[in-house]
Amino acid sequence: MTPILQQFMTESRDFLQSIGENLLKLEKAPQDADLMSDLFRSVHTLKGNSGLFDFPEMSRVLHAAEDLMSVVRDGQLSFDRRLADRLLEAMDFVSLLLDELQGGASSSAEHAQASVRLAASLRELIVVPDATQQGSAEAASGHGGTAKPGVPLDRVPDALRASWGEAARAGAALHWIVYTPASDCFFKGEDPFHQVRQTPGIVWQSASAVESWPPLAELDPYHCVLRFDLVTAAPRTALDEHYRYVPEQVAIVPLTLEALNPEHRAAAPADGVAAVRATTVGSASQATPAGGVAASCVDAILAAQIVALGLPDAVAWLPGRLKAIAATLAACHRSRGQEDVLPALDAALALALASSSSQPLKEWLAAEGNSSPIASISPAPEAASTTGGDVPFGRRSDDALPATAVLKVDQEKVDRLMNLIGEMVVAKNGLPFLAARAETVYDVRELSREIKTQYAVINRIAEEMQDAIMQVRMMPVSSVFQRFPRLVRDISRKLGKEVLLTLEGEETEADKNIIEALAEPLIHIVRNSLDHGIETPEARRAAGKAVEGRLVIRASQDSGRVLIDISDDGKGIDPAVIKRKAYEKGIIDEAALERIGDQEAINLVFAAGFSTADTVSDLSGRGVGMDVVRNAVERVNGSVALTSDVGKGTRLRLSLPLSMAVTNVMVIESNKQIFGVPMDMVLETVRIPRSAIRSIKNRQTIVLRNRVLPLRSLNELLADDLPQVSNELDEMATLVVQIHGESLGIVVDDFREVVDIILKPLGGILNALPGYSGSALLGDGSVLMVLNPKELVTWQ
Amino acid sequence: MAVTYAGNEAHFGGIVGVEDAEALLAWLYEHPQATLDLADCTHIHAADLQVLMAAALTVAEWPHDAALAVWLKSALSRG
Repeated sequence: MTPILQQFMTESRDFLQSIGENLLKLEKAPQDADLMSDLFRSVHTLKGNSGLFDFPEMSRVLHAAEDLMSVVRDGQLSFDRRLADRLLEAMDFVSLLLDELQGGASSSAEHAQASVRLAASLRELIVVPDATQQGSAEAASGHGGTAKPGVPLDRVPDALRASWGEAARAGAALHWIVYTPASDCFFKGEDPFHQVRQTPGIVWQSASAVESWPPLAELDPYHCVLRFDLVTAAPRTALDEHYRYVPEQVAIVPLTLEALNPEHRAAAPADGVAAVRATTVGSASQATPAGGVAASCVDAILAAQIVALGLPDAVAWLPGRLKAIAATLAACHRSRGQEDVLPALDAALALALASSSSQPLKEWLAAEGNSSPIASISPAPEAASTTGGDVPFGRRSDDALPATAVLKVDQEKVDRLMNLIGEMVVAKNGLPFLAARAETVYDVRELSREIKTQYAVINRIAEEMQDAIMQVRMMPVSSVFQRFPRLVRDISRKLGKEVLLTLEGEETEADKNIIEALAEPLIHIVRNSLDHGIETPEARRAAGKAVEGRLVIRASQDSGRVLIDISDDGKGIDPAVIKRKAYEKGIIDEAALERIGDQEAINLVFAAGFSTADTVSDLSGRGVGMDVVRNAVERVNGSVALTSDVGKGTRLRLSLPLSMAVTNVMVIESNKQIFGVPMDMVLETVRIPRSAIRSIKNRQTIVLRNRVLPLRSLNELLADDLPQVSNELDEMATLVVQIHGESLGIVVDDFREVVDIILKPLGGILNALPGYSGSALLGDGSVLMVLNPKELVTWQ
Repeated sequence: MAVTYAGNEAHFGGIVGVEDAEALLAWLYEHPQATLDLADCTHIHAADLQVLMAAALTVAEWPHDAALAVWLKSALSRG
């Protein structure tokens, strides 16, 4: 299934849903013009969409529905229940087609006749003569549109007919096709003759005119008056498929033994329509002799039951009679394989016994007759014609619940599920503690082991649940990317630049939160690229580049992280300019000006308060620099890398975690409290002897593997005066973390274990507290504050 | 041109399309006693078919294409 078909399915179901709702609402408020036009729009769109695909059956019904709605919307017809019934019927039909397509059906040709019937029943309601109603005019213009021609078996030589009779007796299913093309068919590019010539399995054919031929002088060669009659041995489905685009112009009549046998000709349905009706409803078995005999026996039995039911009710043996009749009816239906009707029969019998009347059974039989061949011998045959009337399409709304493949779920519900699973993970982590207590406190090792086994099971399920909910929360980056074409177009217009935007890897997925956090920084980066990166067409021409600048936004996945590359072929970033500006703005001092390398200089654009724009434009350079971008990315545990070649372009790479729901943190101890530090920031943990610590100016440092590593104590960072505690060997536990590409040692009291936690951002007043990324519940019920070393260090 | 007219005979060759119907009708109107040579014909458009059927004329040569011949015989023989 192609993505566009998938989308069509999803959308169509939504439309059907809203059409259904609106129809029900309209029944209560038929005068509501808004509802009406809403409904019309839905049907109209659905029809238009279905036209994109090869679903003539769906389009046909929807087209008729649209015509009807249009008349109602224009106030030429009032909305009533009958109308609603048929529209609902039509929508059920569309829904059935969708179900089948979803189920892998390649075509819906077998529903061609049903769709014609539905379309006709909808059009029938349009009683207003309106020349603009093309659809209805079209239906009426075909000769075969309303009145179907009969089967003129007498035109066939007796010998041939006899041979068909032989074939039918031998089990062959022959069909008589009457094809009367619409009079204007030549103008639609149809060639009916070609169409009939391609009919599979032709055994006999004839072409004639619907009316007698006019003199040549009056003949209009482009007004089709042809009628084709042919007999084929092809299966019904192939015929339906072959004529699926013109089903309203075709009558396909199975040739039954009765019809072929000259002695029974009088009994054969003279009218093609009646024959279609009597046979399309599923008595294909009649074509075979055994089936035919059985069918006629059953018919006789049923007729006898109808007579029995017609006897007076006021007799003592009525219950016995009713039971006998019901038993006979049940047996008849069972022999036809119609076991699904039996519960309804039982109900009718119960009702009949309770009310001491044969009426319920009569009604059941009459109702049953509507949908089965028994109708033909019922004393009160239904009078509905096939092209009109309330012919139920036969699909009740409670028949089959549509197997929806896509659920639309409130974001809140998913978030709630996510939270619950988070709690579950925490609760689950309590079990090892319990196991340890069972062993150490209560000294029952057996129990401890059993708890651990149980824990392993729960752990596995919890992890799978977590994984499943992660999948649900995954969103493609296209949801963020899709706004860029417009954004780039608008900005480049404003700036008088020409930019070609290329988006790649839009289907890359990441957690909803990550994607959402990405939107703001990305827009800022794109703006910066357009404003500062890509030159004006003149400047580009002078530099020997293509006039059109290129901006590429590419998303890809790399081992658990999403990478977003934004590259342009603009003027790049000149480190010298950056250094000078940074110096002017006081971000770096004179010594640094001399010392820092080009890459470091380029990274200065991320420094707070840095803006390279010469003049403040209304696009970027509003005092919001790249530092905002970096902070936004880092807030979701991402990182930004910037590379640039002067004159050739700039490349920004955002690296983001796929998901931020579960965080791997190392638990550390300081000042008798425990804290968490995100593992992805921790480079290594070392224990350094106190004697190795040197003081340079006021700062403590050590030399670690021939490199000078600045040290900060966690107590100091948290504004605690206490010195860090060393272990018995007088060694300091030091966490080496990476902050903005530089290493820093954070001295703590002790290391603990590494745990997976669900990090919750601090809420309320605590939210404004820098230095913490959030908090988490530990398995033993205690709260773990998770530090954000970056903020902690820069905040000082 | 799929239809060539020579004297009182119309020769059909290959596929005769819908656009030939009008000219065919005009020619047939002027040549009511015309004969048809369909030997090389493989398909005629339904519009041409109904013109031929309405004109009710003599077919000198039936198509070599058996399937088409059967159709045309059924359509044109009865006139």
